[in-house]
Amino acid sequence: MPPRLKVGEAVKLFASFYPNPMDPDGLLETLGIEKVKNSTYRRLSGGQKQRLSIALALVGNPKIAILDELTTGLDPEARRETWALIESARDRGVTVILVTHFMDEAERLCDRLALINHGKLVVLDAPEAIAAHAGGSRVRFVPSKPVDDKTLYAIPGVKEIERKVAYVTVIGTGDLAASVIDSLARIGVHVSDIEARGGNLDDAFVKLTRDDTSRVQERLQS
Amino acid sequence: MTSNKSDSKHGRFQGHFAELLKVEGKLALREPTGLAMGIGFPIILLVVFGLIGKAVPGNVAGTGLTVLDIYVPIIMVIGFISLGISSLPVTLVRYREMGWLRRVSTTPTPPSRLLAAQLTLNLVFALVTILIVIFGSELVFGAALEVSIPYFVLSIVLSIAVIFSLGLVVAALAPSQTVASGLSGGLFFLLLLLSGLWIQPAIVGEPLATIMYYSPSGAPVRALLYSVFNATPPLTAIVTMLVYAPIFTFIAIRYFRWE
Repeated sequence: MPPRLKVGEAVKLFASFYPNPMDPDGLLETLGIEKVKNSTYRRLSGGQKQRLSIALALVGNPKIAILDELTTGLDPEARRETWALIESARDRGVTVILVTHFMDEAERLCDRLALINHGKLVVLDAPEAIAAHAGGSRVRFVPSKPVDDKTLYAIPGVKEIERKVAYVTVIGTGDLAASVIDSLARIGVHVSDIEARGGNLDDAFVKLTRDDTSRVQERLQS
Repeated sequence: MTSNKSDSKHGRFQGHFAELLKVEGKLALREPTGLAMGIGFPIILLVVFGLIGKAVPGNVAGTGLTVLDIYVPIIMVIGFISLGISSLPVTLVRYREMGWLRRVSTTPTPPSRLLAAQLTLNLVFALVTILIVIFGSELVFGAALEVSIPYFVLSIVLSIAVIFSLGLVVAALAPSQTVASGLSGGLFFLLLLLSGLWIQPAIVGEPLATIMYYSPSGAPVRALLYSVFNATPPLTAIVTMLVYAPIFTFIAIRYFRWE
């Protein structure tokens, strides 16, 4: 962008490039940058620059917008604002293809998610499905008395165990929290401070890309 | 306005071209280096040589011309050089380097329109320079020009074509803004020298005189000098420009990169 081009001028200019553009002023307002309409590009903050590029991408009323690494380098507040914009574009019926390395971003914004590792599509599904399938759910708790690994592995669904100070975390599938509480109660152990959450995409990402890489290595060795 | 398809397409073209021209014009005013070079520099030269012409009246080397008379075409050509060689290519290479051409190319509007807007804008500036030099020298400094309109228009069109297309060659070949600035700076002074700003071909002797007459800035000066004094420009000057312009244009188009 020419450093001395003003925000309003840039959006109006790009609107003139398209047959059925959006109203430039309305768009600036939606994107929350109408305040800097008369600022030159070089005076904008990183988040404002990013929002201007979104404005320029959306002003032509596209059916599909491909947004690449949109929030990389933005502070948490600017990221959140950018997310709200993408959601509003999506709600207006624009198909958004978002390229990102941030799993929380993908989890929050995407209806469908494709994970690509070394140029190959590893998985394509709803983010929740991928997280549940690949990450497993996690239950963290404090047992009333020490429990050894063998006992924990005997609980249905438990796949992995992590220990940190008094906390025990089990990772696995199924209705994990219920089976942990039941099984431990049966041997006279009570659990407190329990925290359960579904699998998250971070775990899924690591698991899926690791699986994929090791499979490639196996193939190379054989 | 009818809803005829070609009609609306035409309107759209005018819409975005007018908008581009407006934006490029505003940018040129906000960063007035190009303007200062293309219009300011000729004005300074006009004042300097106008004053010299008044102080040293009469006949330079038996030609019947005053100092200012001789410099009128040189100042105009220097204006074209400032715009076409110094300003235009550096702006275009900068636009390429900052990804502006690429960003425009992602829209339905081809980036060549941006180039066309830049060219149009610089042509307008060149026109302003021409008017200032002609009317300034006549009205302010009393130069007795007898502009032969057809020859003058022909010489101006060819001069601008040669110099601007040479500038576009720089824009096409320079890989970065730094290289573009260096190239256009070197070329700027070479062309100023060959235009006769410091030495006149009539007094330098051979072979420099011939080199100047056949150079991309000397040939325009020669053609313009004849046409502002109601004489037929030498055929060699016209032919020289007719050879340069298409060659430069071809090289510029052949090697221009948008990214």
